Formats: sequence, structure tokens, C-alpha cells
Amino acid sequence: MSEHQSVWRKYIFSLDHKMIGKQYLFLGIFFLLFGGFQALLIRWQLAYPEQPVPWWLLGFLFKGSGGIIDPDMYNQLFTMHGTIMIFWAITPILIGAFGNYVIPLQIGARDMAFPTLNMLSFWTMFLASIVLLASYFLPDGTAAGGWTSYPPLSLEEGGIPGHGQTYWTLALTLAGTSTMMGAINYVITVIRMRAPGMTYFKMPLSVWGLWLTSILNAIFVPVIAAGLIMLLLDRLLGTQFFLAGRLAAGGGGDPLLYQHVFWIFGHPEVYILILPVWGIVSELLSVFSRKPAFGYKVTAICMCTIVVLSSIVWGHHMYTTGMSPLLGKSFMFLTLLISIPSSIFFFNWLLTLWKGSLHFKTPMLYTMAVIWVFAIGGLTGLYNATVTADIYLHDTMFVVGHFHYTMAASVLFGGYAAISYWYPKMFGRMMNPLMNRIHFWGTFISLNLVFFNMMVLGYAGHHRRIYNPAEYDFIKPLMGLNEFITYAAIVLGAFQFIYLFNFTWSMFKGPIAEKNPWKSNTLEWTVDYPVPHGNFAEIPQVYNGPNEYSNPKVKGQDWVPQSVQIESAG
Amino acid sequence: MTNLKKWLPGIWFMDPPKDISLDGYRIDNVIQYTDFVITLYFGIVVAALAFFVWKYNSRKHPKAAYEHGDKKKHLIMTVVMGMVVFLSIDVVIETMSFRDLKEAFWNFPKGKDVLRIEAMPMQYAWNFRYAGEDEEFGTDDDVVPPQNILNIPVNTPVVVQLTTYDVIHSFYLPNFRIKQDATPGMVTAIWFQATETGEYEIACAELCGNGHFKMKGYLKVQSKEDFYTWLSEQEPEVTEDDWDDWGDDEDEGVPTKWGWPWKEVK
Repeated sequence: MSEHQSVWRKYIFSLDHKMIGKQYLFLGIFFLLFGGFQALLIRWQLAYPEQPVPWWLLGFLFKGSGGIIDPDMYNQLFTMHGTIMIFWAITPILIGAFGNYVIPLQIGARDMAFPTLNMLSFWTMFLASIVLLASYFLPDGTAAGGWTSYPPLSLEEGGIPGHGQTYWTLALTLAGTSTMMGAINYVITVIRMRAPGMTYFKMPLSVWGLWLTSILNAIFVPVIAAGLIMLLLDRLLGTQFFLAGRLAAGGGGDPLLYQHVFWIFGHPEVYILILPVWGIVSELLSVFSRKPAFGYKVTAICMCTIVVLSSIVWGHHMYTTGMSPLLGKSFMFLTLLISIPSSIFFFNWLLTLWKGSLHFKTPMLYTMAVIWVFAIGGLTGLYNATVTADIYLHDTMFVVGHFHYTMAASVLFGGYAAISYWYPKMFGRMMNPLMNRIHFWGTFISLNLVFFNMMVLGYAGHHRRIYNPAEYDFIKPLMGLNEFITYAAIVLGAFQFIYLFNFTWSMFKGPIAEKNPWKSNTLEWTVDYPVPHGNFAEIPQVYNGPNEYSNPKVKGQDWVPQSVQIESAG
Repeated sequence: MTNLKKWLPGIWFMDPPKDISLDGYRIDNVIQYTDFVITLYFGIVVAALAFFVWKYNSRKHPKAAYEHGDKKKHLIMTVVMGMVVFLSIDVVIETMSFRDLKEAFWNFPKGKDVLRIEAMPMQYAWNFRYAGEDEEFGTDDDVVPPQNILNIPVNTPVVVQLTTYDVIHSFYLPNFRIKQDATPGMVTAIWFQATETGEYEIACAELCGNGHFKMKGYLKVQSKEDFYTWLSEQEPEVTEDDWDDWGDDEDEGVPTKWGWPWKEVK
């Protein structure tokens, strides 16, 4: 833990989990903006099909096609929007940044179990990013087979020209490798590096969420990696794992195999993205209600149950593939079971507020927004779990609206809550609360107008991934709503710049933060900013659970750090 | 009212396309029940949220209760809550859905009056095939009408079997609330029955390349009489296209030798 590190060691090839966390955060924010920009282009095309892209959406990028987005570009846009948001924005921000930053500090460890592996994980991700970005400069553009990239469309025989899909597969395999390195590190860190006294049921729920996410990652990322490598072999070496029909020489393979492999990973992936948010929400609700998390153990157990269930429900993505009725019914039953643990921890979230003393600081606002959007996202999942309803709604904008509520909306608000909450510890200063409040309300309203109305479109039959919806007579009456969504999306995009400005500006001009501005119990708030490499001068001894707020045995304050022994009454 | 429909967002102003099918109402019903029950639960969540925000605001309620929610009564409350959700949502929609699958969507009609059609979507068009007089598919008297128009008679069960030779497509009939993927290497099936004559749209619901958005067909529902007159006027297919050549040249048009022996559903 030398004090004199070179700039390279300190800022670039750092082994410090806190610096690596920040690196992930900046990478994630860059891709969040990039993916968001592509979303606006998609919205432009859906509202004003084949009209020139305006200058403020960087219309000059489309000079080659007369200022308009052509069908190829449109397919590339939504393919890369999905890919980037899931693997290059949400994953780095929630898991890469906060997994790294929060886990060791909250469990009282000096660093990750394997600091070098941690550094390699970031730089593998960086390499993956370069491959991904390079694919945009290929003569035929980047991948255009959808973020799911179903073969045979994603194979050479599928008819999409160029090497974009190859780069996509390669970049995703690299990103998966990076995620794996991170996941193994987090899992082992939580198991082996907890401070003395930090039992599993004394861990903050935020650590529970991140830990369970990492377990899912460690199990299921190898599955998709296998699928991607088979796809790569099909593309480059002429194997035929996923090719069938007339284009296949000889017997051929099975395109459905890919769908199974993809969704065996893909459904847990949804929970991989949301579990950190659930954990953070559970923890923050307790902090800002000044009250212990209601049913802490039950919440933790519910999250574990969902982790198990999430791995046996993938078939609900495939109801229309012609699967056997027996499988369809089983997958529906298993999927619906998830509603039980979900409703229980929802109940616990609400009852954490009950009889609390609610402080509406900005992290709390974002946290409460998660309750709202995740309630909508979770409940609308019921339609897609139901075989008959899904026969109609599958592959429509309804699904798009639904998963944006669960993943985009919940994860965005969870991310904003996490950034606002840990900002003082990460950067030593406070964010401007007024700017955050304006950002919160602008985002909350416009985001709901965007995603809710996507579900409305889908309910009215509007299917997804279509370049020009006005081709269809039954969609023509919906074009007004498509325009409305686009306006709302532009407003949503504009409000994000307030947060970006606040984030950057506060780093230099924000008021210096106190050691423990939110009066939290968890261990990261017991160390001074800047937290040195190695975190704790002395590894703390943990006595209390993470949520001992308003404990009557503690005199004079409503909080007590986990490492301070509560005097026994008497 | 039309302006309202155009501009006011909200599910109450948007209806699904007109249902002209025998069983589409089943899907509308299960969707409506789900609408109702999730609106109820969402209402409860929001009401609780609003009430707690008002009542336990730190200005009004500076001292929080010290309550872990880990007592036995809390556990019982939690379990009861989970069961209520399970019974009121899951059990009901599962019962509805399973019943509809058994009675309608997975209950393929059999018998003389069933019209059988083979469909072969391709990038980016729909091909349909009727068995012809011998009632066998893949024979010389098959009828293969021009692309992108599917003719069916009204009030007659229609079974469509699908496969494709290029990439995955999905046969989507918004007015019937149904869709079915067509995947290379396997034959899938779907059935439906129209209750009204007219022309309706067929869409491809699975991304199949850059022409995906205009892979549109029409479903022409005629009276039984008109339909059988139309069918009898169709020339049997001309089988000059060579199987091995197809796929090499985009301008070749409809591949004609693509039928398969009908797969009987058990």
C-alpha cells in the first residue's frame, strides 16, 4: 500500500477497487449517452419515417443516405442500442462500478480478493468496447440482427452483409469474459473477505443484491459464451450448429438451439441487471426511513428464491416457436411463481416506510421511483408470462415497454439513487440537490410517458423492430402516439444533461461532504475521504446489523455504525 | 374524439385491431382480467406509498419506530400476502389460459370441413399452398396462388403449417390476436377461424432482415361460395423451378417446389 504510486498505477492500471469502480462508472456513462443517442434516432425514425434527421440529432452522420436513416441503419441502431445499454451501460454502472466500489467497503475488506483479476476485468471490458466501437466503421456497418441475434439471420447466410455481426459476437464474448472475471471476484470476496463479525445476515442488502447477481453471472455467462462461440464458428469456420433449411448443406443444425442457449442466459440476465437495484433500494429505503429494513431476512431469502427461479423460466421467451404444450404450461407456471417472492419483498419495501421518519433526500426520491416503475414493470410481466396473452403480445411494442420498465426505468433510477448516495464517498463532495430534484421530476414524468405508451402501442398491435410502421394500415392510427412518444423521449434525453452537468460540476464545485452525510450505519461511512488504497487503517470488528436505525438503546442519535457496540440496556 | 384518440396517451384510448376471429375474445378476456387485477395491485402500492409519504414525512413524524418486522405475526402476514397474490392473480390467469389453450389454441380442428394451408414465408414475402383436388400436399395439382395474399373462407376452421428455408419469420394476424414462428428445419402449425369477410393484414413479427418492415401480406376472407369458386379457378402450380437453384438469385420469384407432406397433429 505504498503512498507514492505512479500516475499509471494510480489512475490507469489501478489495482484499487475504488479506482476500478470509477473507471467502470465513466465507461458506463459514456455508453449510456451513446446508447441513449441511438434510442432518440430510433424514435425519430418511428415518428417521422424516412424524413431527414435534424441537425440536433447529428443529422450530418446520415449524409451518405441523403440525411435519412435507411432500413439497414435502422436495424443497426436498435441492435446496438439494446446491446450497448445492457452490456455496456447497465452492467458496467451497476455491477462494474457499484459492485466494485461498494462490496469491499461495506463488508469491511481492504480490497477485492483478486485485485489483479479486477484490473484485468476492466481492461478486458475496455478491449471489448474498442471492438464494439470499431464495428461502426466497417464498410457495411455494425451488427443488424437484433440484440438477440437469432440465427440464421445472424449468420452469413442470413443475408446481412459485412462483418458487423462477427465483431458484435467477438465484442460480446470479450465483455462476457470481463463479466466472468468480475463475478468470480465478487463472489469470492463476499465469501472470504468479510470483516470479523460480518455474518451473511449482517451484510447490507445492497451487498446481498450484488452478490446474488455475481453468482448468476458466474453460472450463466459461460452459457451465452458457449452460444456465442458456436455462432462465431458458424460464421467463420463454416460449421452449422445453428443453420437449417435450404441454406444448410447436408442435414444442418438447429436455429432453436441458439434460442434456448440465449434465453437460458437471457432470462437470468434480466435478474442480473435488476438484483443490484433491489438490494440498493432495500438498503436505501431503510437509511432514509431511519428504520430497520422490514423483514430483512425474508427479503434476502426472497431474492435468493428469485435467483433460483430465474434459471428455470427461460421458455416464456419462446411461446410462439411452436414448443410442446407441456413445456409451455410448465414454463408459464414456473414464471408465475416468481410473483410470490416478488410481492413479498415489495410488501417489505412498503412496510419499511411504515412508521418510519422519511427524509426525502434525492437518493430517496430515486429509490421511491424504483418502487413505482418496478411495480409497473413487474406487474406487466404477467401478460408475457401468460401463454395465450403472449401469443398476441409477443414481439410487439408491449414487450418493449415492459422490459424498459423493468430494466431501463428501474435500473436508471436505481443507478441515479446509487450515484447520488455514494457520490460523497466517491468524490468527496455533495451533488447539488436542487438540480437533482429537477432532474428527478423531469425524468420521472417523461420516462413514464415514453414507456407506458410503448405498451399501449403494443396492446394496439404495433409489432416491434419495424423500420416504417406506417406500412401497415392497422398501425397508421397509432402514428400520432408514436410522435408523442418521440417528443417525450426527447424531453427525457434533455433532462439527463442536467444530471450529467451536476455530476461533473459537483466534482469540482460541490460543497465538501461530511464523513457520513446521510447518517448511515454501513462501514463505508466510517472512513474519511479520500479513502486510501486498503480502505481501513484497521479492519473493523462488526457488532450490529446494517439497519440499526432508531434503536432505543442508542442515545442521542438515530444511527449507529455497524462497528460500534451498542451498550446493553440496563 | 378522433383528436383525443390521437393525442391522449393511455391504454383507455387505444383498442386492439378489430377482432374477427372465433377465439380472439379469449385472449382479450385474459388481457382484460390482467388489466383489472394489476391496476388494483398497482393502486394499492401507490396508495400505500402516497399515504406513507404524507403520514411519515420526517417533519411530521421525526421519530421512527424501531421495528425489524421479524416477528411471527409479520411472517404470517407476509405469507398470507404472497398467497393472496398467488390466488388472485396467478391461479386465475393460469386457469383461464390453460382452459383456452385446451379448448381453442392448442386444440387443432379435424374433419372434412377444415381447410389446410401450407405457408412458406421468405425474405420478404409470403407463399401459400393449397392441397388441390387430391388433398395431398407436394403433388402436381397443388395450388400456389400469387404471393402475399392468403384466401380463406369465412366460418371455416383453417389450419396453417409453416416452415421457411432462409431465416426465422413469424406469421402474425393482429385481427386474430395470434402469431406463430416459422423456423428453418421444422414445421410449426397454427389454426384460426374467421367470423367476418373482408381484407385484413398479415405481418411478419420476427426480425428477418432489412425488408422485415414491409414483409406484409393480406388475408382475404370470403364467403365459402366465393372462396371455392376462386380456388377452382386457380391453375395448379407449374413445377419448372429447380430446387437446387433457388436461393442463388433474388429475382427468381416464387419457389414452387416447396410443399411437404401434411404433418398430422396427434
